[in-house]
Amino acid sequence: MEISRRDFMHICAIFGIGAATSANAAPRTVSQISLKDIYAFKNTGNFTLLHMCDLHAHLKPLYWREPSTLISAPNLTGTPGFLCGESFAKHYGLEPSSLDAYFDTHVDFETLAKKFGKMGGVAHIKTVLEHVRKTRGADNVLFLDSGDTWQGTGVALKTNGEAIVKAQNYLGVDLMVGHWEFTYGKERVRELIGMLDAKFISQNIVGDDSFADDYEELIFEPYTIEERGGAKIGIIGQSFPFTSTANPKEFTKGWSFGLRLETLQEYVNELRDEHDVDCVVVLSHDGFSVDQEVARKVHGIDFILSGHTHDPSPKPIVIDGTVIVIAGSHGKYIGRLDIDAKEGKVNNYEYKLIPIASNIIPADTAGVKLVDELYAPYALEMNEVLGRTKNILYKRDTFFSTFDQLINDAIMDEMKCDISFTPGYRWGTTVLAGEEILMDNVYEMCGITYPNVYTFELKGERIAKLLEDIADNVFNENPLYQQGGDMSRLGGATYDIAVGNSTGKRISNLKIGGKPIDLKKTYIVSSWGGNLQNAGENLQENKTRAVYDVVRDYIKRKKVVDVSNEGNVRVVDYSCGCPPKGKTSCN
Amino acid sequence: MQRRDFLRGLSVAAASAVVVTPSVSFAADEKPKGSNALSYKEALAAVTGSKTPEVSKKIALKVPEIAENGAVVPVTVEVDHPMNEDDYVKSIHVFATKNGNSRCVDAHLSPANGKAMLSTRVKLGETQEVAALVELSNGTFLISSQSVKVTIGGCG
Repeated sequence: MEISRRDFMHICAIFGIGAATSANAAPRTVSQISLKDIYAFKNTGNFTLLHMCDLHAHLKPLYWREPSTLISAPNLTGTPGFLCGESFAKHYGLEPSSLDAYFDTHVDFETLAKKFGKMGGVAHIKTVLEHVRKTRGADNVLFLDSGDTWQGTGVALKTNGEAIVKAQNYLGVDLMVGHWEFTYGKERVRELIGMLDAKFISQNIVGDDSFADDYEELIFEPYTIEERGGAKIGIIGQSFPFTSTANPKEFTKGWSFGLRLETLQEYVNELRDEHDVDCVVVLSHDGFSVDQEVARKVHGIDFILSGHTHDPSPKPIVIDGTVIVIAGSHGKYIGRLDIDAKEGKVNNYEYKLIPIASNIIPADTAGVKLVDELYAPYALEMNEVLGRTKNILYKRDTFFSTFDQLINDAIMDEMKCDISFTPGYRWGTTVLAGEEILMDNVYEMCGITYPNVYTFELKGERIAKLLEDIADNVFNENPLYQQGGDMSRLGGATYDIAVGNSTGKRISNLKIGGKPIDLKKTYIVSSWGGNLQNAGENLQENKTRAVYDVVRDYIKRKKVVDVSNEGNVRVVDYSCGCPPKGKTSCN
Repeated sequence: MQRRDFLRGLSVAAASAVVVTPSVSFAADEKPKGSNALSYKEALAAVTGSKTPEVSKKIALKVPEIAENGAVVPVTVEVDHPMNEDDYVKSIHVFATKNGNSRCVDAHLSPANGKAMLSTRVKLGETQEVAALVELSNGTFLISSQSVKVTIGGCG
């Protein structure tokens, strides 16, 4: 089997020209891939930014399969942010069956998983960070975290985020922004920031309670100026702009979010004109496609370190002189960005998305010890074997994935509802075919601070309208009106969708329990992780239960789960999951 | 670094927010029209006297892309135009184009205002364009609009 090296992807672009060059590296055999290949980097400039996004509290290595369907509006599908599978491999020139292909695409995932093993883990991340700090000099390195770090596993949930803050301190995070962090609630966010060595910055969170002292005032410092390698680096924080609509409002009551591009522009200008920085960086949780729009609308940003949409992007995107990078999710990658900036100007940079291959990168022993300590109080619960899965269980994909289906099956079984809705967020885990399902895996899929499964009534016409509303949040042709997630997952229902149709006209042939939806009929609906219960009536309070308990009990009852990857959604205007740009099929 | 943009030398005359849609609902368009109903087309014509307003970049219309709460959507209108005795912004009007009564705010200004700026909150019944119409002292009308998404959200 041939292996390609990540370093052939190196970008050496000169500002103002924007030319990208790639050298052809000789393919290597599996046994020849080494730590040296993973570290290989052309040291450039006077400082280094290390970047992590969307760790989702994964302290230990995991399997994480990238999407096999990633469809958006026709103008976006097949562009960076909406690339997957073969289209992704072709766009970025990946060798089939290489380590990079394993990390970046779903193709041959199960075979390659056996070959290359698990991904990420803070002890392995630490080894890479320390290598870079040693190579570059620790004083010349900044480690930036784009958020979605504190939430996503059982150990995070049980410690209300504290275990993850300890891991961040161990890794040496310098700066961060947030999104799911806020689902611990405002007060807990402040407590955790108190424990965090890093600074929490955000220019787009403003007080919104007209009776409070902080009304229309910034909640966090909007930016910070750090000196590394003799350069003054201005870094502006941009937390997830749609936190208050994507997650329950009560967690951030009194805080207003939003893109706030006007003030972002003001801070860019302030950093350049008043503070004479050499380089302007935005540390962002906007999402990869939204940040491409931000680069078009806000002028004078040198680099955007993006997050939220979980894209592994081996190459940066350059838009109107702004370089945008994003480093995947779940601790699978660390982005390394070497920058040459002086006298108020960026002259050169070099970027590499470093795969955290846990079988190749040795674990730092202090990290292994820390993770063991953090897990110890919960080990008994987390390591409980609930059952086994016949087929691969994964999260992601635009409409359907097997682990989501398992959760919907569990809810339908216990709640005896007509239809169930589960959230289309992009974090979770992957369990390979034939493997045991641990309680830890269930928390990795649905360990949220608002876990209740609600069962209530909704009229058919309301369900149809809600689905259109959700579809528009996912498929709007303007990235600024998207929320960066995938479609909500449905149990008990099937539908056809024409993604490219206009708002409110995408969904047809909606069936519940195999029968065409009756718009006048009242259906029993179960839902968790969203706001749908607020739209419903006759909430059955005695049935309300945490989703992870419902799923645990179901898997234990079944012992072996067998979820097929057939899906319950027919896409009318695309014939495959990963079409290239401008195409509706993969041929 | 804290700032109160909204206090920066502004003055707005008689900004009365006429809130009409009774509740945030994505079914607003299905409700029967009450006596208070006023379509965007009618409301616009009532202000302009059926003159066609010119789409203008002089109007900075600031609204969120996605409303955090459709019941209180912040709207700021700032017009880049002199406020002299003989050339000034006479009025600023805000419309919620798909609300039952689309006319939200009529603000009348004079050169004494110093700056043509209005900041208010409007209630939006559903996803729609919010339009800011400006009348200059010479009788010409300028207009700018932007879409605001009102959604139940919840996709994580």
